[in-house]
Amino acid sequence: MLREITLGQYYPAESVLHSLDPRVKLFATLVFIITLFSANNVILFGAVLVTLIGIIKMSHVPFSFMVKGLRSIIILLIIAGLFNLFLTPGRTLCSFWIFTVSDVGLKNAVLMTSRMVLLIIGTSIMTLTTTPNQLTDGMEKSLGFMKKFNVPVHEISMMMSIALRFIPILIEETDKIMKAQMARGADFESGGLIKKAKNMVPLLVPLFVSAFRRANDLSFAMEARCYNGGEGRTKMRPLKYESLDQRAYICIAIYLIVFYSAKVIL
Amino acid sequence: MSIIKSKNLVHEYIRRDEEGNVESIQVALDHVNLNVEPGQFISILGHNGSGKSTFAKHINALLTPSEGTLIVDGMNTSDDEFTFAVRQTAGMVFQNPDNQIIASVVDEDVAFGPENIGVPTEEILKRVEKSLKMVGMYKYKSHSPNKLSGGQKQRVAIAGVMAMEPKCIILDEPTAMLDPDGRKDVLQAVHTLNKEKGITVILITHYMEEVVDSDYVFVMEKGKVFMEGKPREIFKDVELLKEHSLDVPQVTLLAHELKKAGLPMQECVLTRQELVDSLLEIQKTGGKAPQISHATVDTAAKAATKSVNNELILDHVSYKYSPGTAYEVTALDDISLSIKEGEFIGIIGHTGSGKSTLVQHLNGLIKATEGHIYYRGQDIYDKDYDIKDLRTQVGMVFQYPEHQLFETTVFKDVQFGPKNQGLDEKEQIKRAYEALGLVGLPEEFYLASPFELSGGQKRRAAIAGVIAMKPNVIILDEPTAGLDPKGRDDILGMISEMHKKRGDTVILVSHSMEDVANYVDRIIVMDAGKPAFDGTPKEVFAHYKELEAMGLAAPQVTYVMNDLKSEGFDVKTDATTVEEAKEEILCYVK
Repeated sequence: MLREITLGQYYPAESVLHSLDPRVKLFATLVFIITLFSANNVILFGAVLVTLIGIIKMSHVPFSFMVKGLRSIIILLIIAGLFNLFLTPGRTLCSFWIFTVSDVGLKNAVLMTSRMVLLIIGTSIMTLTTTPNQLTDGMEKSLGFMKKFNVPVHEISMMMSIALRFIPILIEETDKIMKAQMARGADFESGGLIKKAKNMVPLLVPLFVSAFRRANDLSFAMEARCYNGGEGRTKMRPLKYESLDQRAYICIAIYLIVFYSAKVIL
Repeated sequence: MSIIKSKNLVHEYIRRDEEGNVESIQVALDHVNLNVEPGQFISILGHNGSGKSTFAKHINALLTPSEGTLIVDGMNTSDDEFTFAVRQTAGMVFQNPDNQIIASVVDEDVAFGPENIGVPTEEILKRVEKSLKMVGMYKYKSHSPNKLSGGQKQRVAIAGVMAMEPKCIILDEPTAMLDPDGRKDVLQAVHTLNKEKGITVILITHYMEEVVDSDYVFVMEKGKVFMEGKPREIFKDVELLKEHSLDVPQVTLLAHELKKAGLPMQECVLTRQELVDSLLEIQKTGGKAPQISHATVDTAAKAATKSVNNELILDHVSYKYSPGTAYEVTALDDISLSIKEGEFIGIIGHTGSGKSTLVQHLNGLIKATEGHIYYRGQDIYDKDYDIKDLRTQVGMVFQYPEHQLFETTVFKDVQFGPKNQGLDEKEQIKRAYEALGLVGLPEEFYLASPFELSGGQKRRAAIAGVIAMKPNVIILDEPTAGLDPKGRDDILGMISEMHKKRGDTVILVSHSMEDVANYVDRIIVMDAGKPAFDGTPKEVFAHYKELEAMGLAAPQVTYVMNDLKSEGFDVKTDATTVEEAKEEILCYVK
């Protein structure tokens, strides 16, 4: 059940997007998010959607695989949608019992949920086409200037890449412990909020213990392989901009210019 | 010059309380003297807690001696200046394959070591390719480690060490968590490194079979080296090894038993061929007339007297992961089985054969995509069937059950099951008390934190947690995984004892044929989601050739008996334990 979360996973394939420099992809994702949230009418929104569809096609990642990642947050989407639908004041369209649906509410709900969906798909394309190591390398390099302000950029990026590596393992482990406790009659579903929280103890304690044990093992394994922080490290694949990346930057710039000119004109 | 030289090496683990005062001192290594020559294949044997892993960490300078010195390739490990040089010279592979892979892609992980020591980019790429090819994992270079099997992950870890171009590689129980296939692949990779690249290998293990091919063996106990020598010298003294609860390969044990029974066997037999040759020799020189009568070790009669009520029936059960998508995997394929009351069943299969999936169906943790399961005549998929009740009747002990312990005391943890059953406090306590008695955990541990127990004790406590619910059927998924031979024998002995006392149905899931053959009445062999064989151990092991093709192996003695038969000995080939094989051979030769 928990194994189906695809958010933050890498999907190995050969595509233009896979071979792009992670810094380009990070920048592109940022641009995508900004334009997504400043698209306030149907045409602009359509433009963002079309761009995203093009990018999905380019990624060579099966669309069904991306959608699977959405399944885990569908409840969140529904709740957010319903709140917008019923609780936004405006001209009443229809009403029943204590609920009223307003025109603004309907518009907000549709806009909100589709934005969320696009946001998740858009950002997951980045993680699907970029290995976690590349991703953190990209961040480390893009944010490298912050080292001057004593921000431990290398350590943070190392922590992130380890976290990404262990997420699927810990998810599997959660699944296993849950089953084991269910076999001892534990109940994770019924009861009120407090009872539910209390029932989580038999799951959380073993999970934390296991996480600490793994952390301990991993720290030994890293030390054994001469890990000593970021000083003096080399890279197997150092980040270097290729002509492909330059072209990608130009594309992003054109997209930005076209989008904002359209926004001003419309 | 020796590559590793330890002189009076002592290591103490010091435990301090919150104020920093010394609470207790545990001596993990006690004046260890040991020499390793370059290019040797060394094995270090010993129980859990014998100090062998602590020693391994010293060679890699992860720990430094409390007393004495350890010199690795001319460098003193206590000297901070050499720490990284030592780690580069003597690389280390750990037990848990998941907890030593740092990156999310295979080749990036192999590059981690060289990156840390500042190898130039061009050179890293070359080294990664070379190391992955050495262990036969090059074609997986852009895979995610999560998608690999345990054996493959261990080979990636070995490649990760090799990419740092060490002179010596230390493997700390690299096969303890693997299935037989994975073990074979990893050992083969290590032997290739030793023979072809001249890498010094130090293999730490508790599997005796893995030691047979090494140049020199050290046996450790309580922080001391108590035996050392060539494998042949070590295995000569079977009695001494048994006294220290160390496992001896079945072939060696059989030869020893035969010798004890009066046959003039050759000194220290290590391989099947040697055993067969030795017996042939005896037959030639002894010239004893072969007898036709066979030993009648009859286990069939025992089984016949048992009651025949069906406890569980599986009716055309199939299970598919992610049905209807491109990732559909058939884990179980149209299985029909019946399990009778009071049976002791072994389910055997390699990783991915569907054995774990199968047993999780039996208490409703996984719902079949097709088919029906009946427990005592009732369909468990009926709408009004109480699945929670089923789970208390069909108890399930998962792999590494100690990972599910969570309470503040062992006793409270065992009480968890009965509490969920809604029993009153008095009954809960009674049940917990009984269960802990059955698993043989000493009373002094009842009020201890479960996290303070040793590995074997933790496992007992966790098994008690399931038994306390008084299930009619107990399923144990790999109950011996990761234990040393003594722990393994203890746990299996306890399960068998419990089965006799309680008369319940026990289902043991395992990939070790030798473990299972000694205890169970019936074996179900799973392969590709289907039961391939189903019968008594004798019936199943008669198919030893087919079993081998499935990546499983029959007990060594089965092979020995078949070898003897093909050499012209008129022996029955259905012996599954050392004891039976001994009787059969003695009967024939005497």
